[in-house]
Amino acid sequence: MERYNERYLPEDERGSVRGPGFAGYVGKEQADALVAEGNAKLKQRILDNVDGYTLKDNALKDAQSAHSLGYSFLGFQKAKTPEERGVPKWTGTPEEAARMLRTAARHLGAATIGFVELDDNTRKLVYSVDPDGHQIEFTDDPVASETETHRYIPNSCRWVIVYTVQMSEEAMKRSPTMTASQTTTGAYSRGTQINAGLQDFLRALGYQCLGESSLNALAIAPAFGVLAGLGEMSRLNRMITPEFGPMVRVFKLITDLPLATDKPIDAGIMEFCRHCKKCAEACPSGALSFENEPFWDIKGGWNNAGHKAWFEDAVKCRTYWVQEAATNCGICFGVCPFSKKDKAWIHEWVKAGTSAAPFLASFFRSMDDAFGYGVQKSGEDWWNTDQPEMGIDSTVVVKG
Amino acid sequence: MKTHTIQLLKRPWYEWVLWAIWLLVELFVLQNAIASGAELEPRAASIFWMTFVVLLLGGGIVWFLRRARLTK
Repeated sequence: MERYNERYLPEDERGSVRGPGFAGYVGKEQADALVAEGNAKLKQRILDNVDGYTLKDNALKDAQSAHSLGYSFLGFQKAKTPEERGVPKWTGTPEEAARMLRTAARHLGAATIGFVELDDNTRKLVYSVDPDGHQIEFTDDPVASETETHRYIPNSCRWVIVYTVQMSEEAMKRSPTMTASQTTTGAYSRGTQINAGLQDFLRALGYQCLGESSLNALAIAPAFGVLAGLGEMSRLNRMITPEFGPMVRVFKLITDLPLATDKPIDAGIMEFCRHCKKCAEACPSGALSFENEPFWDIKGGWNNAGHKAWFEDAVKCRTYWVQEAATNCGICFGVCPFSKKDKAWIHEWVKAGTSAAPFLASFFRSMDDAFGYGVQKSGEDWWNTDQPEMGIDSTVVVKG
Repeated sequence: MKTHTIQLLKRPWYEWVLWAIWLLVELFVLQNAIASGAELEPRAASIFWMTFVVLLLGGGIVWFLRRARLTK
């Protein structure tokens, strides 16, 4: 496996479909036309008061991005360092450090958190080029830095902090509307706050903490999430967690504070995906794979070769986003049988069954349909529901 | 002097085990019915409520039939 350039590079036709990538894959003229078509549809839906696309839905989406703190590779550096306080830096065992960070991250708003050590293998999951075009390089210089073209990660920064931020399952059940899309934006905005908070928390303890310079920057989030034991890869080619299903966004930071690392888990999620295929059936763009087994062959330059996965056709997916949905869709998240609120005991039983008796996967999938889970709900009804804080269940305590 | 024989017909122990299982199943279904309502999943809630009622009625009928047989 090679390190992946997240920014699309025309010379090797490789990189994410995000940003300039979409135009790179479909051509600028076509991309502009699709975006214009999507924008026109969005405007008409607002004018027609289409369910989930009304002005108030769009307003909430904008409001969700308004509370984003923004991103910074080196952190905003507002906290006083121990040196500035005239005190020694924090010291403790890697286990104590991990425990402390877990508590801090949860208190700052993270749902689950895990740690991975950067070695020759896991370094391959750090992008070679960030979304904004900066090259990421490892250096013997003990202090992290960035220039107009490069970001430098000290070799002493050997620990990756990976955490998830919950999205609202009830809102995502309105995918692909704006009612659903706003919770994705909200989760990303909260992610920036946690990122900034953890960066300054570690700074105040006397350590470096390198963050994402922009949305989904720095490293491949699902890969690190899986290595940190936060979930498993899935047919979505995204990570699904045992606690919140796919209803999370994944973030990562790199630090020089030694941390006790976590191990990948097997909760039967990937095995379940082999049989379920509900997301692939529901995907309006046909972007998700129906193959029974994950495979090696990538679908295009937006996938990183060198591992087995249910690779998705990201261009088909993105085309639906910009041309039809005018949002980031999310239907595959909404219909996933792992997307549950976990109030009913049956869900825990099914999860246990999924893990212990994988042969029941097809039966569970049929029951999921029969019980009406994953059916798209009304955006207008959502405005009349009584939702918990941020639409998420923050009472779920994940031990570790 | 007249003698009377009182015959006590008790439910066997395994029947009580079966009733305990029935009760646990009812509690499980009831919890899922109430929680599905809280989860805003109307179809799941309806199915669980129907299951709860059917099990309750079924249990009631069996209880009275068994009692009638025991008291004959």
